Amino acid sequence: MGVTILTQFPTENRTGPHTIDVLSKRIMALGALQQGQFLVDCETYTSVPQLGPQRTVHVLHNSEQPATVFSLLETGTKTIPLATDGLFDLLMMKMSSFYTSKKQTKAESKGPRYEIGDFCVKLGTVTVSSNFKGILVEVEYRPCVVPAMCWDLLKEFLQGFLGLSGPTNPPAYLQNRMQEIYSPIDTIHQYLEHFTIFRKSPGIGMRA
Amino acid sequence: MSAPGTAMDSLSAALKCNIIPNQEYLLQGSVLDQYVEVLLHRLRGLCDNVDSGPESFHDHELCFTLRAGSGSGAPIVLPLRVRRALDVADAPFQLRYVGQQELGDKNRPTVVRSSIDMACSSTIVEFLTELGCRLDFEYIARGYMFRKGRMKITVSKIFKVAGNKPVETVEPISQSYLVELSVLAPSGQDAIGEDMRIFAEQLRPLVQLEKIDYKRLGSMM
Amino acid sequence: MERDLEQLNSALNSIKTLRSNVRRVFESVSNGLRADHGDEGKENKYILELQELLTTVNNDLRDVENSVANLTPPPGAFSLGSTTSLSQETTHERQALYGQLVNSYKWTDKIHEYSALAGNILSTNSFNKTYKTFSTTKRRKTQTSNHNVPSDVIENLITSINKLFPDVTITTNRPFVPNPVIQASLGRVLKASIAFKGLMIEWVVVKAHAESNDLWTESRYKVFKKVTENCHAAMCHFHSPMMPDLAVRSFMHWFHSYNILFSAPCKRCGNHLHNNLPPTWRDLRTLEPYHEECK
Repeated sequence: MGVTILTQFPTENRTGPHTIDVLSKRIMALGALQQGQFLVDCETYTSVPQLGPQRTVHVLHNSEQPATVFSLLETGTKTIPLATDGLFDLLMMKMSSFYTSKKQTKAESKGPRYEIGDFCVKLGTVTVSSNFKGILVEVEYRPCVVPAMCWDLLKEFLQGFLGLSGPTNPPAYLQNRMQEIYSPIDTIHQYLEHFTIFRKSPGIGMRA
Repeated sequence: MSAPGTAMDSLSAALKCNIIPNQEYLLQGSVLDQYVEVLLHRLRGLCDNVDSGPESFHDHELCFTLRAGSGSGAPIVLPLRVRRALDVADAPFQLRYVGQQELGDKNRPTVVRSSIDMACSSTIVEFLTELGCRLDFEYIARGYMFRKGRMKITVSKIFKVAGNKPVETVEPISQSYLVELSVLAPSGQDAIGEDMRIFAEQLRPLVQLEKIDYKRLGSMM
Repeated sequence: MERDLEQLNSALNSIKTLRSNVRRVFESVSNGLRADHGDEGKENKYILELQELLTTVNNDLRDVENSVANLTPPPGAFSLGSTTSLSQETTHERQALYGQLVNSYKWTDKIHEYSALAGNILSTNSFNKTYKTFSTTKRRKTQTSNHNVPSDVIENLITSINKLFPDVTITTNRPFVPNPVIQASLGRVLKASIAFKGLMIEWVVVKAHAESNDLWTESRYKVFKKVTENCHAAMCHFHSPMMPDLAVRSFMHWFHSYNILFSAPCKRCGNHLHNNLPPTWRDLRTLEPYHEECK
């Protein structure tokens, strides 16, 4: 598990599939090989009023860690991460009288997955309850586990691949964790950050 | 290459095929300290892991409940247990939901209760607390685990945990060991209950493994 | 040497002639009187023939004596001191011991001779582009061997390296006592398994922290495979049989420069990436980072 940077790629009046097409042609031209597909999804549950102050549980799955369920609990003051077995979904069903989900909030990012050298690149089409919202590009540099050490290298890769749309600063979530060892939950945090933004943004209107 | 299905899809498929072990078949009993050696000896002879000897464990268990007072009638209660190994430093924590036990009719040989068992990261205690769970009680269990086919037999001493006292100074709650015989299986596999009854017979009269009715125990106290 | 061989050859030849002529004498004696001696005075003829043959033999014998006298006497049997008593051993399974001992003695003797020759040749054709010079004025520690050294010497070396760099942590294990295998982890960047043969570095494998410590499987990451290759090159470069501890120290010093493997751009092209790899080469003298294609 290496350091992963998640960044949004502007669609600029193109359709989602067209943008993915442009990006996949670019990465293939750089010498990447497609290695299957990926999927990250997120379901959000909120506490019932009887439980006191409102809390939110985001339950995420990442096809890169298929046997794990990631949950992030937001209390308003802090966020507590949790990684569990796949059976956690079953437990969430048991909790349905305490935490309920709004079906319109189910977000996911899915698309092709490429490997190029030690990098792993994923081009994700983001949908929130089946409405197309945008494109998320995930780039992982697998040999390195400390963001601060390989940020410049990743930035160079991203800018070489995405051009001016590449990020110039580390993702907000990573900025005060640059010296810590990167773990899969950090990728989940980044996805949640983007999903939250996408949920608030008005839909682009096209169905993916 | 097909796109990976969502995790929920594969979970519901697993549920449909009934391959998720979510039922616990359970018998319980106890043995006095002075006879525990005899019992262990007997179990060593009866169980599968003869050559490697019994596996010891030393766990700390915290029992939480999530409860919400609904407008009408009794509050809804969701019990959750967290177990962590004190003797293996990097073992994952274990989270467990244990449902109401069904005693069923007299002919059913064991208690059956629904159970969801999963490994989790060490943030679980904070997660549950912030989720709204209340810590009801906690204890330390130290003892041995045996296997016989898919049956699990544990013989453990239960210790009180009081406040922030160090783990070494805990006191046992009684002069006996708790003996549990359990199997975790997908629902509907009632044949296993019969196997358990036969196995329990073999431990008599050293230890009497029975269906324990907690509700009745509560009213006796 | 050449002359010795010639003389030995001529001596052997004269022995051959002598033997063949002696054979002719005996032949003639065993045949006795023959038809070709005729009828008249055949005894006299026979005696004359025999005399002639004996004269030839006599001459040949003198030749042999002469050529043998010209030979340099061999140095005599190997005497390996009191081990000779081993040949007197009566137990059956030990009788072969002395023979083996002599054989191995001869072998080591030969190796000594060859290595001296090889040393001479190699010292005139240095393949080492190193900047370090073996000054003859500095008194060199006499080190008879560097692959068979007491384990505490190696232990000291390893602990001194451990102290040398704060961000290199070394853990050792010893499958074979004098040849430790150390795990040197370099900060949070990488770790290397280094196998020693005495004081010499025998093998290096570089991997990510999360990978196994196995000495025989390479890393699954391209960047660490490259670094492993470069470590092998550096291991050979720094190798010095005369000063093995210096070799190890210089290697570790060079190895330490990988602590900025991911963060340092290439000195030549100024970029981080080339072929999707960071600069994996470190200059052997300046320790500056270069891409493999830029060095």
